[in-house]
Amino acid sequence: MSSFIERPRFTCALGGAMATVTALPRAIPILHAPSGCAGNHAWTQAGGSGLQVGGYCGGLSIPGSNIQENEVVFGGIERLEEQVNNTLKVMDGDLYVVLTSCVTDIIGDDVASVVRPLREQGIDIIHAETGGFKGNSYLGYELVLESLLATYIPKAETKKKGYVNVWGIAPSFDVFWRGNLAGIRILLEKLGLTVNTFFTVDDSLEGIRSAGAAEFNIVVSDILGHKAAEISREVHGIPYVVSTLPIGPSASTDFLRTVGGELGLEQAFVEEVITQENRRYYQLLEPLTDCFNDMDLQRYVAVIGDANYAVALTRFLGNDLGWLPETVAITDVLDEEEQSTIVASLSSLTSGITPKIIFNGDSTVIAGQVKEHWTSHQGKNGKYNNPLTPAFVIGSSLDRPLALELGAAHLSVSFPVANRAVIDRGYTGYSGGLRLIEDLISTIIINR
Amino acid sequence: MSNFEQKEPPRREHRLSACIARGGTLADMANRKMKCCIPDGERGFTQNSICLLLPALGMMNSIPNSVVLMHGAVGCGSSAHGGNAGVRAGNAHRWGAAKDGTWLSTALDETDVICGGEDKLEKAIREVDQRFSPLIIFVVAGCVPGIIGDDIDGVAERLQSEVGAKLLPVHCEGFKTKIWATAYDAVYHALGRVMLQDTAENLALPKPKKPTVNLMNVSSMGRVDEVELERLLTALGLDANIFPVFAKPEKMYSMTHADLSISTCPTHDDYLLTYLKEKYNIPYIIKHMPIGIGNTSEWLRSVAEFFGLQTQVEELIASEEAELKKALEEFKPLFTGKKVFVSAGEFRALSTAILLAELGFEVVAVRSYHHDEFADEEYDKLAKITVKDFPLSIANCQPFEEANLIRRVKPDIFLGHMNGNATAAKLGVATAVIYNVGLQFVGYQGAYQLARRLHRQLTNPNFNQNISKWVNLPYSQEWYESDPFAYIKNGEVEG
Repeated sequence: MSSFIERPRFTCALGGAMATVTALPRAIPILHAPSGCAGNHAWTQAGGSGLQVGGYCGGLSIPGSNIQENEVVFGGIERLEEQVNNTLKVMDGDLYVVLTSCVTDIIGDDVASVVRPLREQGIDIIHAETGGFKGNSYLGYELVLESLLATYIPKAETKKKGYVNVWGIAPSFDVFWRGNLAGIRILLEKLGLTVNTFFTVDDSLEGIRSAGAAEFNIVVSDILGHKAAEISREVHGIPYVVSTLPIGPSASTDFLRTVGGELGLEQAFVEEVITQENRRYYQLLEPLTDCFNDMDLQRYVAVIGDANYAVALTRFLGNDLGWLPETVAITDVLDEEEQSTIVASLSSLTSGITPKIIFNGDSTVIAGQVKEHWTSHQGKNGKYNNPLTPAFVIGSSLDRPLALELGAAHLSVSFPVANRAVIDRGYTGYSGGLRLIEDLISTIIINR
Repeated sequence: MSNFEQKEPPRREHRLSACIARGGTLADMANRKMKCCIPDGERGFTQNSICLLLPALGMMNSIPNSVVLMHGAVGCGSSAHGGNAGVRAGNAHRWGAAKDGTWLSTALDETDVICGGEDKLEKAIREVDQRFSPLIIFVVAGCVPGIIGDDIDGVAERLQSEVGAKLLPVHCEGFKTKIWATAYDAVYHALGRVMLQDTAENLALPKPKKPTVNLMNVSSMGRVDEVELERLLTALGLDANIFPVFAKPEKMYSMTHADLSISTCPTHDDYLLTYLKEKYNIPYIIKHMPIGIGNTSEWLRSVAEFFGLQTQVEELIASEEAELKKALEEFKPLFTGKKVFVSAGEFRALSTAILLAELGFEVVAVRSYHHDEFADEEYDKLAKITVKDFPLSIANCQPFEEANLIRRVKPDIFLGHMNGNATAAKLGVATAVIYNVGLQFVGYQGAYQLARRLHRQLTNPNFNQNISKWVNLPYSQEWYESDPFAYIKNGEVEG
């Protein structure tokens, strides 16, 4: 294992937690941290999250104890207590979430001792220990969810039929999180379900507090949100189902079938929805057929992204769009079991071709292996060569130099996305596939 | 003993008695020398902002053929994703091709926190040296090594003879200083200690043939602004070494051959300028920031005076000012009497406020990120050019104070830093960014370009006005009704 990560494609647990809390309706994060953590996060979002910084209370608006050397030596609890009490006066929120940092986790400040008495007074305040050394931004998302499930969301006596929670998409670090969550919700609503996505503008704290009444939890990630689902199963007695992020028609069809099956929905009804959605998708795609074929818009692809995107994009490109995924790099830190799930998923493309799979988060290593793959297919037959062209790199902004070297078009989808403005665009569901086709092809023909 | 003989530079709250918590009015500031009588206050409520690592990265990531090796948790340094646009553009403007900055993280984890991270750092340095063969590896400490006691200086010293790159330890432990301008000292410290030494190859560098000045830029100017200052200096027959941003490591030592060093922002540069004076006897000017009409002229005068070019400079100033003032006429009717709130690093805030007064705006509030002695004269200048007294805030951001103030002083336009304009925007106020390396701010041309942008923003502020009707800032009614400086403790000036 390397002793460093080159330009990590995530930030720390605290950064992920800030993004997650900021995405909750009218929630106020309170950092127990030195003065720079929110600013670091704001610049990270500005440079990596498709120009989306903060939200209701994000960026440099986030309150914090701004501890200094004095607190490192003598402890920071007194400062935190003052900060929290004054935050309740200055900030207008419905939920306050204290998030700790490297420094305060190392010095061992007992944050619960500040938060618990306030909660006992009826104030909606929780905390999560999110010191950056504990892990990356995806962990921060998990830790906030865990804290919500453990302390904020009450147990429900009865479950509501057809009510589901959706997890597995980390705000900000899935740059298209708003649109992706909305896309999942729209899909599930077709099955007549009521969907709690927690983090979109259409969610509410009231809805989140009723998460304990869900009939089912749906995790749309092979990696993220599993722990939350486990906790919810243990604490709230809610079963869960896991799916790969559904991008485009094939994956959405699988997703609807899986969910329908797990929830015991009438099969004929589910199949009817699937038929309608596929018909709609292909009717919308139909007018592109001329140009798609005439302009020779099929591409060899190098996919680079986190586990959610790398797999979902590859499956869409291979199974739906008829492109040729050659290499897939997964940039998360994954254990063996997680890796084998991904390998299995990528080894079952309908084209029968299995791309070269790279588990590595290091841009130089990824670029090296992708180039090696491309070079090895260059051929040495004089003027009759069969190289991997035309090519496309779908990854993050960090992969632009690679695309340039391969002479490939490039689209940033996975974090960091520095060169696109993203508001509510999403790639999930049937429509998400169409959005992705628009973006990929618009990139290819930009100089037309 | 010189500061440069220490491993770490002193923090600015000690070295300069710099402060960050103060609320009052311009008259308080201009009439009192704050340095001597303001023990820095504390806030009972604070918002998080940035630490010294962020501006330090802005400098380090620009250096060609360098690698920034962050020694810290995986999040420290991720702000470089945001800074990278400036690095790409900076490279493109100077050498014709966009190029990303190179940075890496040792990503210290729980095991490292318990067992120490020095071994990992050693390994990383060796690997980075091999992989990139850079001229410089900045070995940067975040908070974690500062607490667990990793000795980045010791590691660098041990490994220096084994690697090809020069190892530059840089201390950016965020909890150690609340004055993020300490960042400039931290990077200058490392550059001075390693790159500005009398090695054989450095001594072989050619000496300049023309009178040459060191023009300091710690990343507060983009290439467009450097070009404007070079244009003015060239008109006086002077060449410029620009340092440190985008300075090629192999030529950095040329600094020591200059006739004079000039700061372009006195908040930034005293630490290195003092070093160059003490070690290489290079005189320096740390006065005036060349933003605004009067200040650009004053800045030029001070440089010209050093070289005995008084006549030439007066001719240059007269012709530049005449041409600029004529060009600005078309904007003046819209500007006259419009209220403006200015927020930035201390010197930039003040010189920009002075420029806005020159353009006919009424300055209704200024927020400086910190205060130290270098800006005293600027407060006097601002007091002279403005008619009425107005609120002045010393705050390391703290947008809650700003939101409260904006609702009181009701500006027509707000000028703030990157990630610092949203508060005003969500209150429906037009804004113009006060610093962005892609835009022009400096010199006569900068004054004109800023005026153009202000005119454009004031002509159609619909984006902000619309958003303000539908979104709220996260502050309570109780807070808006409080004194904007209510949470500053020890805020009153004694005596």
